[in-house]
Amino acid sequence: MQKRILIVDDEPDIRDSIKTILESNGYIVATAIDGDDCLEKINEVKPDLILLDIMMPGTPVEEVIKKISDIKITFMSVVRISEARKKGLFKQENIVDFLQKPFNVSDLVDRVGLILKE
Amino acid sequence: MQKERKVKNLLFSKINRKLTILFAIVGFVAPALAIFYFYTVIVSAFPDYFLAEQALLLKIITIMIIILISVVAGIIGFFVSQSITKPIKQLYNATLEIEKGNYDVRVDIKTNDEIEELGHAFNVTTAALSKMEQKKKEIDEAKTEFLNIVSHELRSPMTPMKAQLQMLEAGYFGKLDEKQKESLSIIIRNSDRLDNIISDFLEVSRIESARLKFDFRETDLAQLVKDTVIFMQGFAKEKNIRLVEKIKSLPKIQADPDRISQVLRNLLNNAIKFSDENSEVVVSAELKNDYILFCVKDYGCGLSQENQVWVFEPFYQVENSNHRKHNGTGLGLTICRGIVESQKGKIWVESQKGAGCKFYFTVPLNPIINVEPIKVLFSQKDVIERKIHEEFRTMLGAIGEVEFNELKNKNALNKDDLIKHIDSFTGLYILIPEQSFEFKNKIKEIFDDEKGNIIKKKNETRNI
Repeated sequence: MQKRILIVDDEPDIRDSIKTILESNGYIVATAIDGDDCLEKINEVKPDLILLDIMMPGTPVEEVIKKISDIKITFMSVVRISEARKKGLFKQENIVDFLQKPFNVSDLVDRVGLILKE
Repeated sequence: MQKERKVKNLLFSKINRKLTILFAIVGFVAPALAIFYFYTVIVSAFPDYFLAEQALLLKIITIMIIILISVVAGIIGFFVSQSITKPIKQLYNATLEIEKGNYDVRVDIKTNDEIEELGHAFNVTTAALSKMEQKKKEIDEAKTEFLNIVSHELRSPMTPMKAQLQMLEAGYFGKLDEKQKESLSIIIRNSDRLDNIISDFLEVSRIESARLKFDFRETDLAQLVKDTVIFMQGFAKEKNIRLVEKIKSLPKIQADPDRISQVLRNLLNNAIKFSDENSEVVVSAELKNDYILFCVKDYGCGLSQENQVWVFEPFYQVENSNHRKHNGTGLGLTICRGIVESQKGKIWVESQKGAGCKFYFTVPLNPIINVEPIKVLFSQKDVIERKIHEEFRTMLGAIGEVEFNELKNKNALNKDDLIKHIDSFTGLYILIPEQSFEFKNKIKEIFDDEKGNIIKKKNETRNI
């Protein structure tokens, strides 16, 4: 069965790029423009994985992730992982990965594949 | 406290002494002359035998009175001169404060004379100075802030750009012919380079504003070194360089593994760059007293004495046409220095031209909690170094020159090492204890100076 991925990023170019990459690799992809949009779309999309940007307008990511407990989340950010860790963003079980931006395309595909493998 | 010490030193200032003596002399001479004149008049008015006994008594009383007046005049002189020297002392202490960089110092002199005018002029001058200092700090902060914003803004377009380029390269949009591939690889290579420069700038702005984040956790350093070496092996393959790790057993300590790995990667990267093909790079780490000493050793071309001094400065690349092709950002070692020194460690290089380099750095066993801002770009380091150099020359002459250069090469121009070193001079009878005490005080002053500036800066940043 095809896995579903929700990309959450306020930059359209980034959303589109990742969408193309993941669709080419056989995933069903939906996008959201910020944290609030993400929360709205979760029920409709029912993703297996959320790729979540850390710095976005609207509700801060710290609040957004508290409302998501049963879906795996990979953070994507230009900030370093140590900074994200200091913010306490890695406390939840369902936070599974951190993708440093600018990311490597093959790295993205590998990581997503690893997380979503049966 | 400093101020009181200075005041005490000046309790009997030179002016004070001079005026006290002057008053005493005037107090002695003036009545003496008056009485001598009075005496001659009386003597000439009476025959010799007349009132001879009374004359003797008069003489004695006169001398007593003269001495008394002289003492009283001396005491008055002391207090009068005190009233003059006190404001001068105040001015003197205030100038000492200025020398230390405290431009907020003001004097309060109400003597209603030229000294009060001088005090007023002094206050106006310090006000101008503190305004200038404030401007300088603002510019300094603006520089760091600018660097930070620009780097962030430059970095965000890199993400989709690099992604799309890689997608093109990976054939997401169809197959490419040779020419297209070649063109694309040039674009990709340069976008990677641009990205490296931007992230290095970001790192520098973090170091300078003390925003460098450390995530201290229990770390197995031996494993960390092993992992880093394995990671870097890929980069060494091209030149067939062997990366060897020689680690004595290390304790698990509280440290930020990402940061230590970052420094190691940077040093290894340099070592690989400057090594000949088919050679070896050795990474070692061992436990010293209260720190862990890392060393990255290569058998490359080495560094001349002069280059060793500059190698941690920003944008310094060893001038050698051979190595120009290693287009780094010129910030790698500067960032290493920033990371290591932010953790209160040290970093230095030992090398001989043609005989390879040994880069050392230390990580304290106990992590520091408060990271202080470190100026790595356009740093104060050279200013401090110049001051220390001067002190070495004045205190030790020709030996000072040699000693200074030696310490500089060891990157031991920090307060603790210098004090220790000066103590060793006393041990070797190069300096007598008094000289060594004076020497140490001067060195301490140089550093307190700089520390004061940093603390002040930190407080201001917090207020903003």
